[in-house]
Amino acid sequence: MTSLEIRKIDKFYGVHQALFDVSLSIGKGEFVTLLGPSGSGKTTLLKILAGFETVSGGEITLDGRNITELKPEARNFGLVFQGYALFPHMTVRENIAYPLKVRRMPRDAVATRVREMLDLVQLARFIDRKPSELSGGQQQRVALARALAFRPDVLLLDEPMSALDKKLRVDLQEELRQIHQTLGTTFINVTHDQEEAMHMSDRIAVMNHGRIEQFDTAFALYRHPGARFVAEFIGKSNIFPGELTREDGGSAIFRAEGMEMRLDAGSRTPGAADLMVRPEDVLLGTAPAAGRVNLPAEVLGSTYSGDRALYALKLASGRALSAYGAARSGVHPEGAQVFASFSPEDATLIG
Amino acid sequence: MSKVVYWVSLSFAFFFLAAPLLIVLPLAFNDSSFLTYPMEGFTFRWFGVFFDTPPWLSSLANSFKVALGTTLAALLIGGLAAMGVMLLGRWGRIVMSALFVSPLVIPSVVLGVAMAYAFGRAGWGGGYLSLVFAHTILAAPLVFLAVTTSLMGLDPELDRAAASMGASRWRRFHTVTLPLAMPGFATGALFAFITSFDEVVVALFLSTPQTQTLPITLFSSLRDRLEPTIVVVALLLSIVSCLFILALNRLQRRGAGR
Ligand SMILES: Nc1ncnc2c1ncn2[C@@H]1O[C@H](COP(=O)(O)OP(=O)(O)OP(=O)(O)O)[C@@H](O)[C@H]1O
Ligand SMILES: [Mg+2]
Repeated sequence: MTSLEIRKIDKFYGVHQALFDVSLSIGKGEFVTLLGPSGSGKTTLLKILAGFETVSGGEITLDGRNITELKPEARNFGLVFQGYALFPHMTVRENIAYPLKVRRMPRDAVATRVREMLDLVQLARFIDRKPSELSGGQQQRVALARALAFRPDVLLLDEPMSALDKKLRVDLQEELRQIHQTLGTTFINVTHDQEEAMHMSDRIAVMNHGRIEQFDTAFALYRHPGARFVAEFIGKSNIFPGELTREDGGSAIFRAEGMEMRLDAGSRTPGAADLMVRPEDVLLGTAPAAGRVNLPAEVLGSTYSGDRALYALKLASGRALSAYGAARSGVHPEGAQVFASFSPEDATLIG
Repeated sequence: MSKVVYWVSLSFAFFFLAAPLLIVLPLAFNDSSFLTYPMEGFTFRWFGVFFDTPPWLSSLANSFKVALGTTLAALLIGGLAAMGVMLLGRWGRIVMSALFVSPLVIPSVVLGVAMAYAFGRAGWGGGYLSLVFAHTILAAPLVFLAVTTSLMGLDPELDRAAASMGASRWRRFHTVTLPLAMPGFATGALFAFITSFDEVVVALFLSTPQTQTLPITLFSSLRDRLEPTIVVVALLLSIVSCLFILALNRLQRRGAGR
């Protein structure tokens, strides 16, 4: 039941290519986030979806209808800008009524809808204020109400919270999620805040250098990254480059400097491979642990945060390793020799 | 350092701009037909002379007619030009802006001669129309500049936001762009009015006794008889200018307050 289909989009700015072969299938009512570092092409993709930029190749369909060449005003997509883009010469009421008047909605229906939207974002008291008389967070909510007032097929949000402080951002994330659940509109959000992406989205498209690296749920991205970039960009990770071989029985063996383990490699072909271990899956002990992969290491330092401590370690091979450790009974001192261990089930082959 | 600059420029402004005016303006109320100090008594007599003696009042009326006509024409031409130029690419914008602003750098004597000749040849020299036409050439660039400035200050995302909500180009223009560029139009209109209202050089070449504007009457009576009525006119013109400056100030403050 795909609603928005993005197929093989390329985008050139002169000779510079900003998007490479971007494809996404987004279901109706899904909350999707485009996540990536600065310059990875998130805004470019969003502008193409909104119709403000043309594509150099590829197509976009909405419910099977090709909308690639459609003008922005003909798309029926709501848009929330980073700078809010509220009309300064209109009151909150007039701002929200704007898209409704454009659609020639009858007067009393407009009034009802404006009320309804303001109730949704809890700003009914401010209906007659000008945008300049509202705080940043309030302006952001008006922008949201305005973009949703005409029941768009898709709501596009370009870093809607980047100008707000941390606390407000968390509140607004929660609110945005609830609004999404209430309305069931398809949301496409852009951010480079991975926490925001993980909290709110059904699925996340991780972008890098104009490409989609992986498009999946937060859980899948975290536990089973499809590319080294994803493993490093989302959360903290330890990555071991090594070699995968297969025994006659079909079971796979991964070998890297100072370690060898049998693991479930699915249908992967033998050859060079990267193994990822998340720091919370690493245990530190003073003796080797049974049934786990043990790596002798030296403690370089630790960051204590009450509930746990993050250790920076150096393996015998000279490679760095990070690990979370319980800190209830104090931390391992700097320079201590410890055994870092993990279970092969918690390790993931990237790709 | 900045304090020194401040006080120096303030004193220059006072001694060269304000002081001559302040010295001469009281003579509008002097009970003597000569422009000399000490004043011989206080009177409103010269105001009466201004309102009763032709051609003072009719030239004031002429000035208003020409200035209003100029303002309307300049708003139309300069405003349309500014909005059109905004739709061009970078180079088109540079070239067209230079063209629209060029009348500002042509000496007005040259314009005056050229127009007197051209209108004379065309057979409609001397009328209101020729004055309005000539002043519009001088005033339209000012409207153009004022409107361009306020259009450039607009956030381009506002237009995009309106487009995303389904508004057509024309609707976006008259519901978003135009209202927000209004201060630019108002500023341009004030400049256009004032430019025409106290324009001397071109009017000198073009006006006839029937269409003579106030500055021209002032100029010729300055040559004929030096009497306090002239100062009365100067006072009235100063008041009009002050009102305009106040209006401009208000506009700017409203623009900044957004
Ligand atoms: N109008 C343009 N002309 C030329 N290059 C552009 C233009 N817009 C974007 N680019 C380039 O395309 C690439 C992607 O830019 P984009 O704005 O999509 O990045 P982004 O992922 O939104 O980054 P950020 O997180 O910083 O907003 C960048 O290398 C940028 O320099
Ligand atoms: Mg961006």
